[in-house]
Amino acid sequence: MKVEQAHGGSSSSPVPFGPRRPAGEGRDGRVPRHVACVMDGNGRWAAQRSLPRTSGHTAAEATVIDVIEAARAAGVEWLSLYAFSTENWSRPSGEVDFLMHLVRRVVRKHAPLLHARGIRCRFLGVSDARIPAPLAQDFADLMTLTGANRGMTLTVAFDHGGRSDIVEAARSLIRAGVPAEALDEQVFAAHLPFPDTPDVDLVIRTSGEQRISNFMLWQVAYAEWMFPPVLWPDFRATHFAECVHTYQQRDRRFGGVAPHANGDLRP
Amino acid sequence: MTSFNPGAPGDAHHDGASVFGPESEFHRFANDPRWALALIRATVLEAAHPQVGAALIDNSTFVTHPWRRLRNTFLSLQRMFGADDQVREREAARLNRLHARINGADAHEQPYDAMDPGVRAWVVATLFESVVTMCRLSGQPLEQATMERLYAEHQAFLALLGDRSGHLPPTLREFWPYFDRMVAEELENTEALRIILYKLFDHLPAPAVLGDLPTLWAAGRTLAGPVIGAITVASLPEPLRRRAGLPDIPGARTLTQSAYLAMGLARFLPAGWVQTDELVDLLSLTPDSDDPRARTLTAVRDGIKRAGALLRLITPLPPEPGPAPSAGPARSAEEFFHDVLDQTGDGYLDWPDLAAMARELSGRLDLDEPKETRLYNAFADWWRELQASLDADGDGRISKAEYAAAVPSLAGPALIKVAEVLFDAADSDGNQSIDEQEYRALFRTGFRRSMTDTGATYSRSAFVKDFVSFMSGRQRSSAYDPLLAEA
Repeated sequence: MKVEQAHGGSSSSPVPFGPRRPAGEGRDGRVPRHVACVMDGNGRWAAQRSLPRTSGHTAAEATVIDVIEAARAAGVEWLSLYAFSTENWSRPSGEVDFLMHLVRRVVRKHAPLLHARGIRCRFLGVSDARIPAPLAQDFADLMTLTGANRGMTLTVAFDHGGRSDIVEAARSLIRAGVPAEALDEQVFAAHLPFPDTPDVDLVIRTSGEQRISNFMLWQVAYAEWMFPPVLWPDFRATHFAECVHTYQQRDRRFGGVAPHANGDLRP
Repeated sequence: MTSFNPGAPGDAHHDGASVFGPESEFHRFANDPRWALALIRATVLEAAHPQVGAALIDNSTFVTHPWRRLRNTFLSLQRMFGADDQVREREAARLNRLHARINGADAHEQPYDAMDPGVRAWVVATLFESVVTMCRLSGQPLEQATMERLYAEHQAFLALLGDRSGHLPPTLREFWPYFDRMVAEELENTEALRIILYKLFDHLPAPAVLGDLPTLWAAGRTLAGPVIGAITVASLPEPLRRRAGLPDIPGARTLTQSAYLAMGLARFLPAGWVQTDELVDLLSLTPDSDDPRARTLTAVRDGIKRAGALLRLITPLPPEPGPAPSAGPARSAEEFFHDVLDQTGDGYLDWPDLAAMARELSGRLDLDEPKETRLYNAFADWWRELQASLDADGDGRISKAEYAAAVPSLAGPALIKVAEVLFDAADSDGNQSIDEQEYRALFRTGFRRSMTDTGATYSRSAFVKDFVSFMSGRQRSSAYDPLLAEA
């Protein structure tokens, strides 16, 4: 597919510096390898309908399934969803409890389907003691069940904080006694949780909010960001396809320098 | 009767070849499935000896690491009864060094010494007698000539252990009164006996291959544990059962005979189905190792795990919350203490715990003198360092609480010394790096992929760093965990 309209000011000039991908894969038709979604707007969606905030979260379930299917269909290899941040614990305890139950129900409901679709599921974070034990068990079970799948990898960031991941990597480096001179970006990345995760190519944050909110800070370094105004419960496969299409129009330059490929295994 | 004269230990080195080797009676029985039951029974009889019992309680890791212990024992017996004289003499020397390090005093201040001639004779006597009983119980008693050949082999085995090896009665005719007298007069209801009969089978840890399936293992053990216990008790000599207050379970005698008979019938299975060494290897196999059998097992195990996970996920939600799973690369001080440091499982860190580590390491590396002594000395220095810095209440041993309170001070110079000595020992060709083969000797598995990437050797500094971070940083390690933490 040929580029019809330039999106933003930067894409009209040809790529001057070496992009990450082989030269054969030009801008057109290139599917982002790793897409991440910040699922924002559930509360506002409910408020617009004079419903309790919790019903916004319930409505989000349908979108999650829709987006997983859309990503799979589009040929995305890695999909990450930001479900719950370390800062979300400060929400009213009733809402947190509700979320925990909802997530547990959703995980159990869709586990066989996800497995049947060959999707490998992972949960990033999940270290807080406040996570109910049965939920943690379900997460572990889903990871065990789908661990050998070779389809798309779905990473659910639950109780996740980008900074705490970096701190965790630093701890791991110190424990391993890596000397300061030996440390470079690649070595550092190998100590992050799930070090085989590649850099994020595209982040979609719904509801028009334009913030990072401590999400996969290390991996989004060179990501393209999109902020569709639609609220997450209204976000559908078509919106997802639109975002991927827009991404394909963009000219990614990586600051003119090819960064180290993230996702190499820990040395 | 063979021409071998058991009365003269010196001759054993020359006449050994005629007694040992693949043609020996021992070899016939070592591949017999009933031998497993006989070996358990022999261990119980050994443990009932006050000196052996005390030594086992203080030094042995058989409660916490029974599978490792089983493999080591089996390997040692195979070497002793194998065809190669040189291997045999080396193994005898190694056993002597190992046993020379085991001595002390029990809870009642009674001294024990693993080099005591009487004690060593008794251990060999139980091995011999248990094979004879095994055949008797399964309804195929040995012929007199076979029994005498077997007896001569065991005498030769004892004689190989050298000057202080102790003495079995010169003839089989004199053996039986000796055995009966020992049972009637020497054996006691020792703590080790009670642990083996009542604790070991109920709490037998899963072998590493089944380590991730605790539920499956526990279910099998619940059934098999008491049965093996009952079979063993029923096969013990009556005077010992009376003295130790062991119950006479109705029908246990019949059960015992049936069990021995049933296992005896396994001999008629096609050759290759029953291979004791294969089985022993399998039990001490680590799922992550690169052994081809491990891969098959891992695949099966993963399948079971996935099926279990799916089952749990599709089961309708239970109302009550389940237990919290604990997972992660690092373990707590308590876990590390329990899994790695407390090798004898008595709840304290003491010299025998570190000695057990040194024993396991030198066994794996097949060390000779003086390397073995260097390793033991390094561990002894480490022990003194630990004692000086951790033993807060001065009772000579380190409790879990004392350890947890002082974890940061664990990586002292003596620990680094242990790592260096271990490196020297593992680096058998002395080229200052550990190659693939040397690595395999220590960890029984090949290099990890990440290591081959960085050049196919393991340097001194990297080795020391990994060892120290495992021992002090409580970091889990795919190499050291199978070596020191698993059963």
